[in-house]
Amino acid sequence: MTGVRRRQLLAGAAAIGVGTGFARRARAAEEIKIGAVFPLSGNAAAIGQDAKHALETMADIINGDHDIPMLLGKGGGLSGLAGARVRLLFADSQNNPQIARSAAERFITEDRVVAVIGSYTSATAVTISQICNRYQVPYISADNSSPSLNKQGLDWFFRPSPTDIDFTKAMFDGFAAFGEKTGEKVRSIAIIHENSVFGSDSAKLQASLADAAGIKVLANISYQANIPSLAVEAERLRAADADVLMPSSYTSDAILLVRAMHDVGYTPRAIMAQDAGFIDPAFIAAVGPLAEGVMSRSAFAIDAVKERPAIPAVNRLFRASGANKDLNDLTARELTALQVLADALDRAKSTNNLALREALRATDIQGDQTIMPWAGVKFDATGQNMKGNPVILQQQKGEWRAVFPFEIATAPPIWHIAR
Amino acid sequence: MAGVVRGTLAARRRREVLLGIAILAFLAVLPLGISNVYLRGLIVLALLYAGLSQAWNILGGYCGQISLGHALYFGIGAYTSTLLFTRLGISPLLGMFAGGLFSGLAAFLVGLPCFRLSGHYYAIATLVIGMMAALLAANWDFINAAEGITISFHGESWADLAFRTAILPFHYVMLAYAALIWLIAWLIEGSRWGFFWRAVKDDVAAARSLGISIYPSKLAAAAISGAATGIGGALYAQYVGFIDPESTLDLSLSVLIALPAVVGGIGTLWGPLLGAAVLIPVQQLSVAWLGSAAGGIDLMVYGALIMALALARPEGLVSFFQARARKEAAGHG
Amino acid sequence: MSATLIAQVAIGGLLMGLVYAVVAAGLTLIFGLMDVVNFAHGALLMVAMYATLLIHRATGLDPLVQLPLVALLLFGAGVVIYRGLIARTLSVRVNAGMVQIFVTFGLSIFLVGAAEFLFGSDFQSINASFLGGRSLAFGAIILPWPLVASGIVALLVFLGLFLLSRTEFGHALEATREDHEAVALIGIDRDRVFGIGWGIGTASVGIAGVMLANFYYIAPDVGTNFALIAYVTVALGGFGSIFGALIAGLIIGLVEALTALFIDPALKQIGIFLIYLAVLMIRPRGLFGHL
Repeated sequence: MTGVRRRQLLAGAAAIGVGTGFARRARAAEEIKIGAVFPLSGNAAAIGQDAKHALETMADIINGDHDIPMLLGKGGGLSGLAGARVRLLFADSQNNPQIARSAAERFITEDRVVAVIGSYTSATAVTISQICNRYQVPYISADNSSPSLNKQGLDWFFRPSPTDIDFTKAMFDGFAAFGEKTGEKVRSIAIIHENSVFGSDSAKLQASLADAAGIKVLANISYQANIPSLAVEAERLRAADADVLMPSSYTSDAILLVRAMHDVGYTPRAIMAQDAGFIDPAFIAAVGPLAEGVMSRSAFAIDAVKERPAIPAVNRLFRASGANKDLNDLTARELTALQVLADALDRAKSTNNLALREALRATDIQGDQTIMPWAGVKFDATGQNMKGNPVILQQQKGEWRAVFPFEIATAPPIWHIAR
Repeated sequence: MAGVVRGTLAARRRREVLLGIAILAFLAVLPLGISNVYLRGLIVLALLYAGLSQAWNILGGYCGQISLGHALYFGIGAYTSTLLFTRLGISPLLGMFAGGLFSGLAAFLVGLPCFRLSGHYYAIATLVIGMMAALLAANWDFINAAEGITISFHGESWADLAFRTAILPFHYVMLAYAALIWLIAWLIEGSRWGFFWRAVKDDVAAARSLGISIYPSKLAAAAISGAATGIGGALYAQYVGFIDPESTLDLSLSVLIALPAVVGGIGTLWGPLLGAAVLIPVQQLSVAWLGSAAGGIDLMVYGALIMALALARPEGLVSFFQARARKEAAGHG
Repeated sequence: MSATLIAQVAIGGLLMGLVYAVVAAGLTLIFGLMDVVNFAHGALLMVAMYATLLIHRATGLDPLVQLPLVALLLFGAGVVIYRGLIARTLSVRVNAGMVQIFVTFGLSIFLVGAAEFLFGSDFQSINASFLGGRSLAFGAIILPWPLVASGIVALLVFLGLFLLSRTEFGHALEATREDHEAVALIGIDRDRVFGIGWGIGTASVGIAGVMLANFYYIAPDVGTNFALIAYVTVALGGFGSIFGALIAGLIIGLVEALTALFIDPALKQIGIFLIYLAVLMIRPRGLFGHL
């Protein structure tokens, strides 16, 4: 066997190798399956159904032939994977950690998804992320904001969105900035929160940050979610009469609380909500003018159109997808999570799990390539985005306006807390 | 005459054990024939509920005390073994029995006041105590309150009951659990206690006249039932790897524990297993197939099925088999 | 803590208690009549709230005006449920109690699923009602009109139920409840009496639903929030006792409000449950239960 023949043979073998490799990639390329686990029925079904529309909208942007000024907004499919299209599979977690776990496991073992996206509540995120870690499949946390999730020591966890720590810091940064600007400083707050993980964590963070900022906590009221009445709670808040009311509530209780405060003739001077129920369009629809002036932290500002030109087109597609509402904090995060995952797939040029993880770790997206008001997306060692700075929104004349940070604000804050 | 009765009874009990061994053998090889991991997971869950529901059946079925608060015992078992494991490093193999002990004790203590109540009063009281426990647990920082406890994975180990892909090992764990509780129920059926409880259930006045002191025998049933439920809770915690008050102490769990026994055949040896084998797949599959398509349809199917089964087979699904067995026996006679 | 605050909270609690009581009234009526605990009671409350919402959206009729209409609708629903489902459970010979529990439980799941399918799971509400947003002021004590009106309507329902028990039909109800078999001999159609009993029971929960729709949000799961309290109310008052439901509802409303004010809002249900358990230890049949 001569040297030449040997080389030719090797080249031939390599060619075959490349060929089969390519063929496999091309076959995989036709459709890349991604599992999405959300509460599609039960108490949080509304959130899950919206999440479904948001993810489908992003999948349509990736797969279809659009011309949207953002990452993956142009052309069809993922060019790094020979024009592959992403296909979403949905499973209902019923907001139950055991069902969420088995749904994720089914996606991984039966459907061979390349990654799992979820999941709204932190209890379901714990079991999904744990099972993804065991099977070495990335879990993209779209809308879980519990700070403990990226501290589980998992190698396959990635969260493009900010955590509750970032969110709560932004609120107090906002207080300081508003005080600076108007001369009306926050001296006291009243906290009211539902007593599951979301509300309790949020209240703990708020109390400790208030302490650090020298702000008095005049009331710290915890209640059980979905209780028939919040009238007494409203009374206690009226009695406390703090500069800012800081609620952490789901939609049902947010409606009840704001109506109850109105009923007893109490109008807080400022409300700074921990997102959730207070940014649900159902809440705004239910309480109408009572929502005027309500502020909330958010990962998304729909009116930041000048800085994020993709927003109108994306929002139009989202509305047309069957959601029939504007993008909000949660849906924008879900949509962006899929964008981040698709970008990593595009760069990995492979659906191999290790390659995908490397690509996710190398993620470096500029903020203006997304619809989010963030500096960008770049993960730290725990899989947490370091550049996802939150914003403060305020209801002004029935619209959510970004009021902080001032660089991306579209309206000055309405801020009259002085007695 | 008495000898004949005893003879047929002994024969029946022998038949039950043989059938039990056959079913055990079948269930032991079943996952080997199923490659679909999702289906395997479904069977694991069905086995867990078969055991839990059999545990409920000891009090609810044999003794006739309809408890709507069994999630409490499930939760105590789950929390005890998980806390022992995550805080003190004690293997869940031991922790589950500690959990069983605590939940048995809790069931005994709940029984002390509640067995003075009858019928619906008892059911609502157990429901209320269960809900109180869930509320308090959600506010109790020592057990991480509402945040729950994660059992992190640090490599495969039978001693820690931890497995990378938990499905197959837990198939055998849950099978052993279901078999153990079945065995307890079988022993009870043949024991003096079993006779007492049936008497209590059938006719309180008659039982009293037979000299059975009802109250202690109910307490014994509660303790055994609670302990058996607690062991199941500990195994669930290891299987899912995460517990919080909402998933281990909720009222809906109490109903889920009772439901297989009711649908399968309350107060029977095979009812809970049969009920779990039908209900768990129906519930989970309807969610998997219908839940994501259009919200609500899965619940409609599930609700309609419960109504239909309860109305069509009030004595439970086991009656299908009993009718045939009776026919066969008649044919032979 | 000022006296007005305590008075305000206590009165608010009592008014809420009347709402609990009227929700419980239907439950206890049906139980007293035929020994059936209706686990679909919360779902029927939800059905009434959606009915009010839909009629409001379609016709613009104020919930208050709709009261008789929705009550009639729910009366019909109750009769249909009795004829279609409950009558069958009564003819079951074995495990009758369990069958009743799980048929009504299955019905509850079915109705919640149907609501989710038909109306989605978004929270909805009636914003522009005659009562909505108005308050009644007695000096420093401010009471929301929707709640005050609910309390008044609840008292009227109880008055109606009391007057009904004085009528000939009321006597038939009483007789049927005491002896199902014997009444047939004196020409009372048991099925007819039971059917109407179910109708009245669901109509009263329908009235509660209309009043709640004035100020409460509406969602498929909304019934659960009230149903659990209703069961406790019924057990506290004594299964089958309408008067017991009224008193128990008032106690629960008051205890709930005062626990939230003096102890901790997160524990207000604990307060209710403790009172309930304490009463049951002294009176195992509830406050006014007989049998």
